[in-house]
Amino acid sequence: MASGNMKGYFKQKKSGGGRGIAKPKPSKKSTKIQPTHVATLGSDVVQPSTLSAHNLQDDEYDGNETVLRQFDMNMAYGPCLGMSRLARWERAQRLGLNPPKEIETLLKQGKARADCLWDGCV
Amino acid sequence: MEAMEIDAEKHLQRKQSLYESLDEKFRIEKETYRGQQYSQIYFARLHMMRTLIYSLIPNWKPHLPVCTVLGLEEGKECIIVGTLYKHMKLKPCILDEYSKERSVAPLVKPHNFMHSDDSLVLEDESGRVKLGGTMLLPSVYVTGTVVGLHGKETSAGEFLVQDILDADLPPQIELPLKSTVLSIALALTREDKYVVFVSGLSVGSSTSNPLQFQLLVDHITGHLGDEKEQGIAAQIVHVVIAGNSVAVPRGLLNGQNLASKDQSRLSEPIKELDILLTQIAAGLPLDIMPGPDDPANFSLPQQPLHRCLFPGSSAYNSFRSCTNPHSFELENIRFLGTSGQNVDDLEKYSEAKDKLEFMERTLRWRHLAPTAPNTLGCYPFTDRDPFLIESCPHVYFVGNQDKYETRLIKGSEGQVVRLICIPKFCETGVAVVVSSVSS
Repeated sequence: MASGNMKGYFKQKKSGGGRGIAKPKPSKKSTKIQPTHVATLGSDVVQPSTLSAHNLQDDEYDGNETVLRQFDMNMAYGPCLGMSRLARWERAQRLGLNPPKEIETLLKQGKARADCLWDGCV
Repeated sequence: MEAMEIDAEKHLQRKQSLYESLDEKFRIEKETYRGQQYSQIYFARLHMMRTLIYSLIPNWKPHLPVCTVLGLEEGKECIIVGTLYKHMKLKPCILDEYSKERSVAPLVKPHNFMHSDDSLVLEDESGRVKLGGTMLLPSVYVTGTVVGLHGKETSAGEFLVQDILDADLPPQIELPLKSTVLSIALALTREDKYVVFVSGLSVGSSTSNPLQFQLLVDHITGHLGDEKEQGIAAQIVHVVIAGNSVAVPRGLLNGQNLASKDQSRLSEPIKELDILLTQIAAGLPLDIMPGPDDPANFSLPQQPLHRCLFPGSSAYNSFRSCTNPHSFELENIRFLGTSGQNVDDLEKYSEAKDKLEFMERTLRWRHLAPTAPNTLGCYPFTDRDPFLIESCPHVYFVGNQDKYETRLIKGSEGQVVRLICIPKFCETGVAVVVSSVSS
């Protein structure tokens, strides 16, 4: 499932103005536009292989985001879709699941994405 | 001829009582919808109940290991805890409307959807497993209950159930007066206070008789009867109306523009109800809960009926519009109840010998409405499940039932609950009076 071959299957759109479905991000923490991570709008990455190295194309993706994604995918804290990461962390805290404190500090600093990795993509 | 004696005017004072509303967890004003699905509420429910059941296992079968569904090994006896899902072939499914083969049978049967082929599946975050054996009856359980099961995996991949652990009744705050010498003396002097429950008034419907309701209001407010009757009425400290108070003439709402005379016809029932409620609210505290037919939101927990529907009664601070389900504490007695949707839904998907048995099951499962959100509309909470019963009520009521029924049930730790089915007033003309002294 190499990303290059899949282009033919999906409708190609102009990569210029097509930011149609990206939600307006509430916090303008970075000046760079964060690309959506799945098959939309002529993006190269068609398969949402979120934990793999394919997504290292953008500079936003750094060590912090990996840690947060691991937090998103961890089954023990429940489903991640439909909640902001901080709300999910707080819920885990309240239910006594002892989520790692670093996640809270990372989210409260505000440099990372507030929503889970699937947000806006499903 | 003797002159008629005029009784010296005796002022009867209505008794007062301490009231505290516990409806906070059923309000949804602070919730924001962020596109979440129901998986969140199921997770919250599973987690809270599982922690609870894990704490009960050492008292039940401490020698058996506890594992998750994915950790099951063939032939090994263990305990698993998860949410039940009941697969029912007669349950109406939206996809049936799109199926290519249209069967002759109608798409929705109004009554019970049970079938002898119904099967149960247990699910937790790691996976699901089909449940077999004869211990766990699909006719008793419904989707959404969280139970602990003792059994083992068979070679067919099923989990053969040998025993079931329900959470059972939650802990109950003891009523302040228990049987001691001092308390018996106090009980003799203790005042007996009454709470009146009524539901299914359906003001404005063809089956409701306004004279009956007026008679009830007159009795409650003390306008009926002699001194003795009025004395009894003076002991009524609270009135709770458990849903379906008004019947909006839905025939008028057919998609056409409403003529002005139709517009006034639409609001007549609620105006009539307001007039009668004002009479009650002027005399004593009144709680009104929304029901399935009332002008409130559809999904549970139903939010309080808006104050502007009751311009007359809401002027009184004794008028309280409450949520459905409704929980309050009166004189240290904890009341909990609904307008009937939870029990009516259970009746469609399981069977019991009477409605009280459904109510008892919801208490033993510690969940007011286990079928929500599967077949009963429910708000998609993310961080909690407000229908979990944390503290056992002393009185548990359900409105809009066919007949009046009541029973006293006991728990393993000394909990005592009075279960009450409140009948529809428009059909039976029966209201229920609960006394605060003696169960």
